[in-house]
Amino acid sequence: MTNALDSAIPVACWSCHVAQNDVTLFCPHCSKIQPAAAGDFFQVFGLRRAFRIDPEELEREFHRLSRKLHPDRFARASEREREWSLADTALLNDAYRTLKDPLYRTEYLLKLEGAEIGEQHAGKNRQDPSRVPPDLLEEVFDLNLQLEEMREAKAAGEADPVLQANLKEAKTKFEGLVEAVDEELRRQWKVWDEGNAQAREPAKTAMVRLIDRRRYLSNLVRDVTETLGA
Amino acid sequence: MAYSDRVIDHYNNPRNVGTLDKTAQEVGTGLVGAPECGDVMRLQIRVNPETQVIEEAKFKTFGCGSAIASSSLATEWIKGRTVDDALAIKNTDIVKELSLPPVKIHCSVLAEDAIRAAIGDWKKKNGVGESAPAAAAAAH
Repeated sequence: MTNALDSAIPVACWSCHVAQNDVTLFCPHCSKIQPAAAGDFFQVFGLRRAFRIDPEELEREFHRLSRKLHPDRFARASEREREWSLADTALLNDAYRTLKDPLYRTEYLLKLEGAEIGEQHAGKNRQDPSRVPPDLLEEVFDLNLQLEEMREAKAAGEADPVLQANLKEAKTKFEGLVEAVDEELRRQWKVWDEGNAQAREPAKTAMVRLIDRRRYLSNLVRDVTETLGA
Repeated sequence: MAYSDRVIDHYNNPRNVGTLDKTAQEVGTGLVGAPECGDVMRLQIRVNPETQVIEEAKFKTFGCGSAIASSSLATEWIKGRTVDDALAIKNTDIVKELSLPPVKIHCSVLAEDAIRAAIGDWKKKNGVGESAPAAAAAAH
């Protein structure tokens, strides 16, 4: 996905032929629409790769570019340009959806930076026990047992107030742990955004682990919420 | 993605689901988890102190069908083996037996890790060192 960028071969605007180093939806020189290139989502908005972005600025830029890409503006353009406007709109929407969500954005940028997250790396790093949150295993296991008990009690039409209270307490606790992960993620964002290559590597590794941990925790919160609410 | 018949069989009729007394001297408990998918697996063994044969194996797994099938199969395989023999079981054996697709290979890794963790716990409890390094090396 990033190959087109890594090659660093300047692409010339099809209309004015001025070379562009960045992937842009419109030529900065002659303002003509450009075909959607295999760029990264940050470049779509003219942003540097960073974990921290200004959400308001992102939204403004999204609306500005959306208006510029509106089909009405291409009613009398060439067929080629009309097609590009559709493809660019799809790219813009994908980019906006990904970047505006802090978690999607974090995962996306980590992947851009070569990190493997989620099922991608499952089973590969088995020599690295730190990927598994062992401090939580016991609690996670017990919580799952309680959830199972609760579901069975419900299926039998019984209500167990003690169990229910336990699960509510567990839910609050795990929500707190998710919040702690998010706080640490924000700290690592800053380290990466402001650091040099040397500082970025450990921050990247830390964030991959935090994302793993967060997924684990938020799945649990989801399961508890479902069981309590159903 | 369809599960193989063997996975479905183990999933519908899991062998050896249950709990052993984890405080018992002859019981080893392995608790492992995979953060990628949220699976958590507990595997327990009861070892005969004289023969070092695993006489009983129980598991409880919260996870997908492949994770349940992998741990069910693991308990079946280790029962009746000596601990050193059980350490020779590799996740690839489980993959083959259950015809696990590539995206589910980590389930078999988890089961292998659970076996190792349970045996490790038993060894620690009973002061057993790496008595057969050759066997342990062959398992890797």
